[in-house]
Amino acid sequence: MSAALLPGWPAAALVPLPVAIPLAVCAGLLATAHFLPKRLPDILAAVTALVVSGLCAWLAVRAGDGTVDYWFGGWEPRQGVALGIGFSVDAASGWIAAFIGLLYALAFVFAWGFFAHTHGHFQILMLLFLAAMVGFCFTRDLFNLFVWFEVMSVAAFALTAYHLEESALTGALNFTVVNSLAGFLMLGGIGLLYARAETLDFAGIAASVAHSGRDPVVAGGFCLVAAALMIKAAAVPFQFWLADAHTVAPSPVSVIFSGAMVSLGVFGLAKLSAFVFAGSGQIRDTLPPLMIGLGAVGAVLGGWMALLQRHLKRLLAFSTISHAGIMLTGIGALSAGGTGGLLVYVVGHGMVKGGLFMIAGILLATRASVDEISLRGLGRGIGPAGAAMAVAGLLLAGLPVGLLDQGSRLLHGALEGAHPYALAANLVGAALTGAAVLRAAGRIFLGLGEDPGDEAGAPSEEEREKADRPLWLMLAPCCVLLAVDVAVPADWVRTLAPHAVAAFTRQTLTGSLHEGPAWAAWGSVAGALVLAAYALFRQRLPGAVERPLSVGQSLPARALEGLHSGLIGDYVAWLAVGLALIAGLLALA
Amino acid sequence: MSPRLRLTLLGAALAGLLPGAVAVIGRLPEFGATIAAYGERINAIVPAERHVANMVSAINFDLRGLDTLGEEFMLLAAITGTVVLLRGRRGEETTDRAMRLPGRAILPRSEAVVLTCRLVGPLLMLFGLYIVVHATVTPGGGFQGGVILASGTLLAYLGEGYAGWRDVVRSHWLDAMEGGGAFLFVLCGLAPMLTGAAFMQNVLPLGTFRDLYSGGLMLIENAGVALAVCGGFTQLFLEFLEETRESAGPEESGEDSA
Repeated sequence: MSAALLPGWPAAALVPLPVAIPLAVCAGLLATAHFLPKRLPDILAAVTALVVSGLCAWLAVRAGDGTVDYWFGGWEPRQGVALGIGFSVDAASGWIAAFIGLLYALAFVFAWGFFAHTHGHFQILMLLFLAAMVGFCFTRDLFNLFVWFEVMSVAAFALTAYHLEESALTGALNFTVVNSLAGFLMLGGIGLLYARAETLDFAGIAASVAHSGRDPVVAGGFCLVAAALMIKAAAVPFQFWLADAHTVAPSPVSVIFSGAMVSLGVFGLAKLSAFVFAGSGQIRDTLPPLMIGLGAVGAVLGGWMALLQRHLKRLLAFSTISHAGIMLTGIGALSAGGTGGLLVYVVGHGMVKGGLFMIAGILLATRASVDEISLRGLGRGIGPAGAAMAVAGLLLAGLPVGLLDQGSRLLHGALEGAHPYALAANLVGAALTGAAVLRAAGRIFLGLGEDPGDEAGAPSEEEREKADRPLWLMLAPCCVLLAVDVAVPADWVRTLAPHAVAAFTRQTLTGSLHEGPAWAAWGSVAGALVLAAYALFRQRLPGAVERPLSVGQSLPARALEGLHSGLIGDYVAWLAVGLALIAGLLALA
Repeated sequence: MSPRLRLTLLGAALAGLLPGAVAVIGRLPEFGATIAAYGERINAIVPAERHVANMVSAINFDLRGLDTLGEEFMLLAAITGTVVLLRGRRGEETTDRAMRLPGRAILPRSEAVVLTCRLVGPLLMLFGLYIVVHATVTPGGGFQGGVILASGTLLAYLGEGYAGWRDVVRSHWLDAMEGGGAFLFVLCGLAPMLTGAAFMQNVLPLGTFRDLYSGGLMLIENAGVALAVCGGFTQLFLEFLEETRESAGPEESGEDSA
């Protein structure tokens, strides 16, 4: 579309626009919001997000097998030294940015009229958030990456606390403290890498890393930068903030948090470890145990915690921790297949999880609660939402259709031979999170499970989101997300992926992309159905079977719940433990 | 976790990190070692190619202008977020009645304070403007000057009282300044693209080295930043001061701000 307006421009000329357009719209909105008609910010924001999505998709197409490079301010590198800031768009980054734009557009539609009284402040913060995410995907400059990382965080902090209840403020504070620490760590890491490489350009740092051999400064820089991105990606043991923040944020914001922000942490880590740090043997040796280990633990732990929740948004937040763990195992596979699987998984997961948070938002708007127990049977009037939730639950569990499944199968294929435990953990994580969602869907929309009695009145804060929005307006974006996840042709992805992965990793990772066995996907779906059925109908089982099971799981479950204390001091202590873990593995490698 | 357990865990983790930290610090470049290659190269290029004496401004607004654009919007996000959170609790209403502690006497404003503020206020504003316009020549620039300008408005509060300050400072205008300044900055990026140049490429005449007019496009970007920072910080002061006001109506707890 822009190409028609500006004939003769090469694709490269459009690279800054997906970042600049939302920024310009957001500044314009801020300057004029008091005078604009009430609905205009909604419309403007949704259209802007769609334009960004379209531009990114077009750039992704034009990038083809290589990259589209762009130097801001016209500062082209001289004698091989980068002077200014560059963007480098490969097909994978472009498609992921296009997906993020689409997710925002749908979130804006979902939030239609949600924030009518705020003079467009919600749209302003969300558009900033969008611009930062696209910049994060495209940049090839380490400090610029940090800038977008921070813009994302600052916009996210305010959006989290939006409801201003005590829980919202606590969640936002935990989020702010932990993610600000991530910012400090990242800045420290950038300082170390700059001290060694004397440049901030990814390619320049990569060259220096490849030359410096076993260098503690490079390893220290990697340790800090990786920890910062793993905090964003909610990897164990940095994951604690996520459940608190995603639970309390307004639903349209949670859609973005779980659908895009967390996976961008993994995305950034995958890009840096392939593009920048691939030349260091020490870091290459560290990645598999670190990412496979933490990813596998996260996949199982997040899934288990999800199964223990009755607050639907907290349940979904823990499932995001589980899925982020699954993505991390893709980095640990250290192969083109693992990275390709991870990239496809990011998109598929974002669509399904975004759709699920929209359903939680629908319940908040129409039923004024997201408590699974007290909502038992109350979803009957909104059956289509229940059907969408069941489909999303099955997709989450690994139902072999759509992008999410294609991503998981590529991951399975990459993990199959060398890392059987990680493969098992991925399947268990998918089954657990799928079971949690299916159980909640069965209880809320079909009234299954035992009558809770007094349990129904949860001692929680009153939650309600703006109610007078039509159901179809909230349900449509959710269905679009699920439909896109299912409808993207598998063959198209299959032909695109090998070239996109090679360009994304800058040809540093090798190996073919092959898909894992079909039994694995069916296995996790079956596991999810059995677990959900157990959770709903366990009172009908004979006591001799049921009692040891529930006693056996109660102690570790309580210990796990105890760890997620909500106390920021605990979270910081765990953060230090995680940092020490990365440093320790680097020292041993 | 009990506090003791938490501290033990933290201590153990930090002890584990210590050898790594020592190893890293031992291998860092010496204190006072030569400037990194990147910095050296920029020092060589900027005066010749951009006619700018203040290297920091040249890096901020030209070589690494995109970072500054991001930072400008980070500030905008922080201020918008603060406004959203404070107003969400307080509501949009404003009043000039201050909250009072019962039994505490209200002292009239001393004439010395009023006189000092009236004298220093304009001078401070002038100094702020000076810092802004000399961005490319001497240390300073839009960010620093903008903050000075914003604190100049606070002197009006100190000297004239809250009602007088609110008369001068209107929230809508501040939004317009903040958003307009940021918009001007983005426009400085987009406009060169219409001529076929790169985003934020310095296409204006560069002016004379060490002259007030030097740096071309940087001057406009700098003005945008000054406008946005001044509007943003004043907005921040206004929101925080409004927190000290008596609430206009009866307390509306749990108001549905959504």
